[in-house]
Amino acid sequence: MNGRRRLVTLTAAVLLALSVAGLARSVAPGPPSDPTQAVATELRCPACQGESVADSSSPIAVSMRQVITDQLAEGRSPAEIRRWFVQRYGDEVLAQPPLRGTALLLWVVPAVVLLGVGAAALRTLRPRHRPVQRRPSTTDAAPPGGRSARRAWWWAAGGLVALVSTVAVAAGQLARPVADAPAADPAVVAVQLAHDLEGQQRYAAAAEMYREALRDRPDDAIRLRLAFALLRAGDAAAAERTAREVLDHVPDSPDGLLVAGLAQRLTRPEEAPATLRRFLSVAPGHPAGPEVSRLLGS
Amino acid sequence: MNERTTGHRSRTPRAVGQPSEAATRGAGHRRWRRVWFAPAAVLLLAVGLGYALSPPAPPGKAEQRPPVAAPALTGTTLAGDRFDIADARGQVVLVNVFASWCGPCRAELPLLVEADRRWSPEGLRVVGLNLRDGTEAVRALLDETGAGKLTVLPDRDGTRAIEWGVRGVPETFLVDRDGRIVAHQPGVVTQQWLADRVVPLLGAT
Repeated sequence: MNGRRRLVTLTAAVLLALSVAGLARSVAPGPPSDPTQAVATELRCPACQGESVADSSSPIAVSMRQVITDQLAEGRSPAEIRRWFVQRYGDEVLAQPPLRGTALLLWVVPAVVLLGVGAAALRTLRPRHRPVQRRPSTTDAAPPGGRSARRAWWWAAGGLVALVSTVAVAAGQLARPVADAPAADPAVVAVQLAHDLEGQQRYAAAAEMYREALRDRPDDAIRLRLAFALLRAGDAAAAERTAREVLDHVPDSPDGLLVAGLAQRLTRPEEAPATLRRFLSVAPGHPAGPEVSRLLGS
Repeated sequence: MNERTTGHRSRTPRAVGQPSEAATRGAGHRRWRRVWFAPAAVLLLAVGLGYALSPPAPPGKAEQRPPVAAPALTGTTLAGDRFDIADARGQVVLVNVFASWCGPCRAELPLLVEADRRWSPEGLRVVGLNLRDGTEAVRALLDETGAGKLTVLPDRDGTRAIEWGVRGVPETFLVDRDGRIVAHQPGVVTQQWLADRVVPLLGAT
């Protein structure tokens, strides 16, 4: 009896430790240190599906983060800022809206069921007075029908805990929280906008957005896209100039040579073939290769 | 597990007078018959509780919200003039949030230009709130859509739009002569929408 009790205690301790470990693994990472991000994670982006204002890169979410930053600078508290947003966007803007109605049911039903099951388990597992007058030969104290029922309870409880700990451990591996979501980068937003504009064949506007992005982040990849956009917008001189800037850093940049060559066909046709041939020799497998060869041949 | 128990038991010949496994199980069944209603009652109670606590149906969509005072809207227009919506008190103001990077906005602009042309003599003011856009890009868009004369207020960082509770572009607000938002359209407006809402306000002088 004593050994069995020890075993039960040990099992309970192990299960408790496992559940604590599972809980520790499944809790969300702590609030971000940036106060704007901290408020933004608690707001839901109204323009997106299931994304917080902190995670979304939609223009509305970026603007909302700006508002949060401005209001924090004015000395407003996070609670005041949340209230400000609720006044404009309603309760749905909160990542955790106040519990009402059906949402409350989600918490009440499991709690009530858990309590009910716990009470039933307690009733079965509680040691009963051994009926002395009956079957004194029986070694176990279990009342008739009680033993298998108790064992069933133990198995069920063990299985449940195993299931929960498995989920807790597996969930950590399935969906790792995005470590430090990159802060909204105006350059990235501008590049995305420019890309969309190009999709609408509005190359002049796209070039303008690329220029804006370049002001924030002088980067050759953006410069090349600017050059392409300028070329498509018909501004060959500016396209060549931009491509030259890239070639100054990376003399053998295939895209730089390609844009420069194509732009030269419009500005200085006599220099274009040399540039384009150099492009072909630098990047023989480039998707634009066949087209360039055709241009050179004609 | 039940089978294992049975197998274990069946090894010893069953003595007369000992409670048989079948009888034990029978007792379990009887007990279950006695208590089955408990979980059912718990579940029913929970559902009932949730239902009782749920608020009455939420008041309809954004379209039907009661008129609220329009937030402030001031700034320098694209043309360089000063604009303040408070100065437009007494006029009906149509505030359209748009951007050059938004396709539907482009399709909608001619409609707004037409509304401006048609109803401005009767007191309508159309204002475009240009959300997070480049000056050149929006100028190009206005030129393309023939909206060059529209009052356009740039909202570089988008904070004005957030002040108005904008969820996306395009989005349109109709402000009456007393400065209250009386209609709100998330998404593209139609000719019908404008006619149904703007005309009654214009007549109400």
